[in-house]
This record gives sequence, C-alpha cells and structure tokens, in this order.
Amino acid sequence: MTRLGIRAQLLLVLTVFLALPWLGVEYARELERLLRDAQDRTLSGTAQAVAIALHDRPRLFDAPVRLVAPKGGAPQDLVDAAAARPVLSAGAAAAAPELEQILQGLTRTTARIRVVDRDLGVLAHAGSLRRAADDAQPSRSLLDPVYALFLPRPNEDFVDDEGSGSVPARREILAALDGIPATDRRKTPDARAVVVAAAHPIWVGDRVRGVVLVEETTNAVLAERNRAFERLFNIVVAILVVGSAALTLYATWLSSRIRRLARDAEAAIDRDGRVRGPLPGSGARDEIGDLARSYSGVLARLAGYATYQEQLAARLSHELRTPLAVVRSSLDNLSASPLPQESRTYIDRAQDGLDRLAAILARMSEAARLEEALGDADRVSFDLAEVVAGCVEGYRGAYPQRPFAYSPPAEPLPVRGAPEIVAQMLDKLVENAVDFATGGAVGISLAREGDRARLAVTNEGPPLPEGAGERLFEPMMSVRPQDGRTPHLGLGLAIVRIVATRHGGEATAANRADGRGVVVTVRLPLASGAEL
Amino acid sequence: MSRRIAIVEDEPAIRENYADALRRQGYEVATHATRDAALASFRTRLPDLAVVDLGLGDDPDAGFTLCRELRALSPTVPILILSARDSDVDIVSGLRVGADDYLTKDASLPHLAARIAALFRRADLSSSPASAEDVVVRGPLALDVKRMTARWRDRPVDLTLTEFWMVHALARHPGHVKDRDALMREANTVVDDGTITSHVKRIRRKFQAVDPAFDCIATVYGMGYRWVLGRLGSLGSELVTGNSPGTRQRTSPRGRAGAWANSSL
Repeated sequence: MTRLGIRAQLLLVLTVFLALPWLGVEYARELERLLRDAQDRTLSGTAQAVAIALHDRPRLFDAPVRLVAPKGGAPQDLVDAAAARPVLSAGAAAAAPELEQILQGLTRTTARIRVVDRDLGVLAHAGSLRRAADDAQPSRSLLDPVYALFLPRPNEDFVDDEGSGSVPARREILAALDGIPATDRRKTPDARAVVVAAAHPIWVGDRVRGVVLVEETTNAVLAERNRAFERLFNIVVAILVVGSAALTLYATWLSSRIRRLARDAEAAIDRDGRVRGPLPGSGARDEIGDLARSYSGVLARLAGYATYQEQLAARLSHELRTPLAVVRSSLDNLSASPLPQESRTYIDRAQDGLDRLAAILARMSEAARLEEALGDADRVSFDLAEVVAGCVEGYRGAYPQRPFAYSPPAEPLPVRGAPEIVAQMLDKLVENAVDFATGGAVGISLAREGDRARLAVTNEGPPLPEGAGERLFEPMMSVRPQDGRTPHLGLGLAIVRIVATRHGGEATAANRADGRGVVVTVRLPLASGAEL
Repeated sequence: MSRRIAIVEDEPAIRENYADALRRQGYEVATHATRDAALASFRTRLPDLAVVDLGLGDDPDAGFTLCRELRALSPTVPILILSARDSDVDIVSGLRVGADDYLTKDASLPHLAARIAALFRRADLSSSPASAEDVVVRGPLALDVKRMTARWRDRPVDLTLTEFWMVHALARHPGHVKDRDALMREANTVVDDGTITSHVKRIRRKFQAVDPAFDCIATVYGMGYRWVLGRLGSLGSELVTGNSPGTRQRTSPRGRAGAWANSSL
C-alpha cells in the first residue's frame, strides 16, 4: 500500500469537479440546439412575413421577369457586401417596383432573402449570407487555443453555392412550391459553413406562384454558443484553480495539525512506554481538538496505571514488612531460648531464608526509593571521570574475584546531576556485569562522544536473547540465566535506566561485537561549559 | 529497680515478641495497642523509655501525635520510633516531633536491644559532667563517646544515635575512607546505599546549621566517606588507605545474616 496523504486524498476528491467542463459541454450543446430552433423559427417567420406581403399580387409574376445571368460565366455574385441593397433583374426592376419596395425594408436582416418563381428563377434578391466582419471576436483569453481544438469556429470564408439567376430545386423549395412551408439546412459546397434555408409559398388565389426563400448561415449561432461555452468554462477553470488552492492549503493545515498531534503523542511516551507528561493542551473546537483531548485523557489514565504499577512493587514490599518483622522477631526470640543443636540448624536456615526474602523486598522498593532520592538530590556539576575512577577502585576491593579493566577518558567529563546517584547507577551496572560474567575481566570504559559522555560496561558471558535489549531495562526482568543463588529480580538495570533518563541520558544493552558477551552503555549529556 | 519500657504497637505478634526480648534483657515492659491506652498509662506513670510504632490502628500517623504528647509530658524520656516505614519524610517528621531515634521493623532484636541500651546510657550520663578521657577531639569537633553527644566549635550538634556513631566512625581516623559496611557496623545498623546517602546528607546539614562553612565529610565516590581536617583536598586515591575498603553488599548477602535492616538512624 502506498501512502496517500490527506492532501493527495482531497485533491483526488477534487477530481470529481472535473465533471464540470463536461457539464459545460452539455450545456453548450443544449444552448446550440435552442438557438438553432430559434433560428429556424425566425427564418421561417421571416419567410412567412415576406410571403404574406406578396400574396395575391399576380402582377408581380405575370411579367416574365428574370434575373439575367451573364452568358457562359460563373453566376455573378450580385450580392456584394458593400451594397446590400436588393438587386433586381432589369425586367423585374421595371415591372415590379412593389417587390423592390417590400424587399427594401428587409435589408436590415442578417439573412439573404430571395423571391423565386415557379421556374426557380430568382425574381428578387436582398441581403447576404456573409455577416459583417465586426462580429469576428478578437482572441480574449489564454484558453482560446484550447477551445479552438474542440469548438468549431464560425468561418465566414466559405463558398456560396448559389448562382444568381436561379436556385437549384432543393427539398424546401419544392415543398414550398407544393404549398408547404419548409426549412432545411445544408452545408456549403466547401463544407465550411452550414446554411439554414426557409421557404414559404406565395399564393395568388389558390395557386402557388412563387416562393420566398430566406437563408442564413449558422455562424451567428455558433459564435453565440462558443461565447457562452467559453464564459462558462473560464468560470469553471477559475473555480477549480481557486478551489484546489484553497483545499490544498486547508489540507496542509489539517495534516500539519495531525502531524503535530502525532508528534506530541509520540513524545508523550518514552521508549519504555512510560508517560512522560500530558499532551500540550489543545483548545481547538473540532474533531482534531477532540482527538487530542481524548488522547490526552488516555495518556492520563495510562500514566495513572503506570504509576500504580510502579508503586505496586514498593507497596507490596512495604506491606510484607510487618509479617516479615513478626517472623524475624520470633526467630530472634527463638534463638535466645535454650534449644537443642538440631533446632539451631533449622533456625539458621530460617534466618537465611528470611534474609534473602528481606533482600528481595528491599530490591522491590529500591526503584521507588531511588525516585525519591532523585527528587531530593541536589544537582551539581561534577566530573564523571573522577566518580567512575573512584568507583572502579572500590569495585576492585568489593569484587576481589573479578578483574576490572578500566579505560578512562582523555579529559574531564563535566556532568550535571547527583554524583552519588550516578555512582549508585554504576554500582548496578557493575553488579549486573559481575553477576553474569563467566570469565575474563569486566570492562568499564568512559569516553567523550560528541556532547555526551559514553559509559560502557562489558562482561564476558552468555549473549542476550534476540530482541531482549529493551526488555532488559524493565523492572522485574531478567532475561539471562542466573545461578539462582543470589536474589535477582532484574531491578538493577531498571534503576540504571531511571538514573540515566533523569540525567537526560539513555541506557542501552547489546551483545558484544564478538558475540561472547554483553555491553550495557549509558550516555549522559555533558554539562555545557560548566566549571567543576 | 529495673527500667521500665513502654511498647506502643498495634500488631500483637510483634508487640509480644519485642516485649519478651526486652524482658529477657531485664527490663520491665508495658505494652499498649492504641494511642489512647498508651497516653492514659503515660499520664499515670511515665516510662523510662518508649518504643512507638507510627501507624496505630487506622491512623497511619498516630505515632507522631503520641510522640508529641509524650514529649509534652516529659522533655527527657527517650523515644524510639520503630516503624515499617522507611521514607525520609517519615524519619525527618519523627525526629521533629521529639523522637530520639528511628529504627525500621526489620532491624533484629539484638539491634533493638543495643539501641535501647545506648539510649539509656545517653540519658543517664547527660546530667553528669564529662571527663576528658571520654572525649575525642578532632579540630573543632568534640565527641563525647559516653554521652554520645557532639560539639562543633563548642556548640552542641543535635545528632541521633545512628548519626553520632557514624560521625564517630569517620572522625576517629581522619582521612580514612569508611565504606558503607564500616559505617553500618559502627552505627549498629544496616542500611542500603540510598539511605546511607540520606544519613550523611542529614549529618552534614546538622553541622552546617551550626557552622555554614562545615565541609569535613567528603564523599569518595564508589567507596564511601571520610573525615577531612580543614579544607577539602583532592579526592585522589592515594588517600584511600581506609581500614576497610571492605566488602560491599553484593559480595555476600548471607555474610550478614541476621543483620538486615533497611534504615535506621
């Protein structure tokens, strides 16, 4: 499983909003359809209006008026943009001033309007398919090139298919000639534009005498659609950009709070699972604040339990003292009375057992007593090298059966703390090493290691079981085999760790590099610039 | 007339055991289980010495109150607190309310008897004049070994029995390092490493209360303590010529069978 941070997750959620452009496309499509319908209706309305004006004017169609196409050439484009005036064939112009007048009023439309007789000849002609150039919009946004990729641009540069003299017999014209108004759309021959055509019959009496043909390209609709889509899309992009920036910031803030909480929680418990202190208070009135508070509560309960556990041994040893005193005073009284030699032996054994029991009890409350002493002790700056050197001399006397190899540091090592308690810690280290030494010398080395003093005590003996390095420092833990003669509750190394920790240092245990022994290392911070 | 000792202790087995042992020593013993009974008896007739337990019945501090009340009745009667508790707080509080000595319950009966004998001796001699041969003088320090009292620059230093014996052990051979075992032996008690530190600390404070410049007890880390005359010198090992670097606790717990006690003064 790859790790996916909150920020990444939120951004992933944000991809849902990528559906917005698709929505825009749908919207634009719908808009286009509506605009086209409207265009169709407008064109057929225009055609109808013109036709109504021309109904029942047989005169217009009586004369054989025809637009005359130039012989043998391409149809002359009668509709040049500059002169969007209705242009009539010479005959018609003479014969149908009315037609001209009627069409004159329609030149303001954007459509091309033609009147066609039954022979498909163009009787009159107004307007142009091409729109004025001012509609071409200038490039407005950075995204225009992107839009151009998928939005067809209206193109005014198309080839008009219509000759000037007559119109092809297209579907809508034939339908209109049959008396049915019709609209149709077609592509220009070069396929660059689509033309919408609406045809409406002109009635003279009950006969269709001609057709009004209104045509327009869809370019206006396309431009309108494009404009609407681009506006929409610009807004969506802006929202997405602003939204993801805001969400990223929010997620960053959120995850930094969670990370801080995790860090605090991590720091609140030390390596041995002991609660160092409460979490820094969180006043946040949200779920993360609740989490911090509930974690804080859990820690407090955990600390309470740990305290209970720590005190358990001390309390137990305390409670056992009274019955122990009963046994001891009874034995003392018994020894004082006249007894057969046989009974003396048993009394001696009972005394012996009692002493061991008392020793165990003393050890059980040792940690609690040490904590008390630590709280009580005056903190002074002292030379660790001097204390260790003195202690080693003492050990040589105390353990005459075991040689000691001491490697002193090259310089004084000023440490701040309680020297007598540090000496007590060294006692425990050496006691432990001597207990488990099977041969050779107990090695004690003290050296400077950066801004810390490194005190290592090694002994030759059975290596630690796999993973026992940490458990070794737990109270009542002894992971190495022992001879069973001396009480060994394993509080010694627990005390080492307590002292080391309270002096701002740490204690670790590991197997010797050669695997034939154990080295317990204590690192204590040096007092910075302290004078001894 | 035999001396009369009052034992105030709520645990019957311990009470009777102590009483039997003391009777064997020739003392007359009166036992009381509660503070009220003890106080009523004290009002009728003062004992020559009182052994008081701290926790009586449900009141864990009844012993302190009783000490104060007994001290109010008599400023001189020796009081020995005998308790299962061994925290510094209890020891200091007990001495403050007027007790002369403090022993934990895992002290052996011989230890207890030695204490009581010493307390009687001190009480007896406090009124009689000191003879020169009983006084050990080390510079400003004068120790009256009979009365078990100490003076520093001619001002009395109020030491308990344990403290007196420790000072005596140190000052008798100035410069010699006394380790924990040696001090325990001389002080007729057994204490653990942590507690001996507290004892020494208390002794230093008592001397410093009389003379703030007092620094005659030097710590030799890992070995013990020694009495230095004048200013504190270097703690070089050339001075470690003590009569007994001795054995430490770990060498043989059984070597001191019958002598285990965790704290006393």
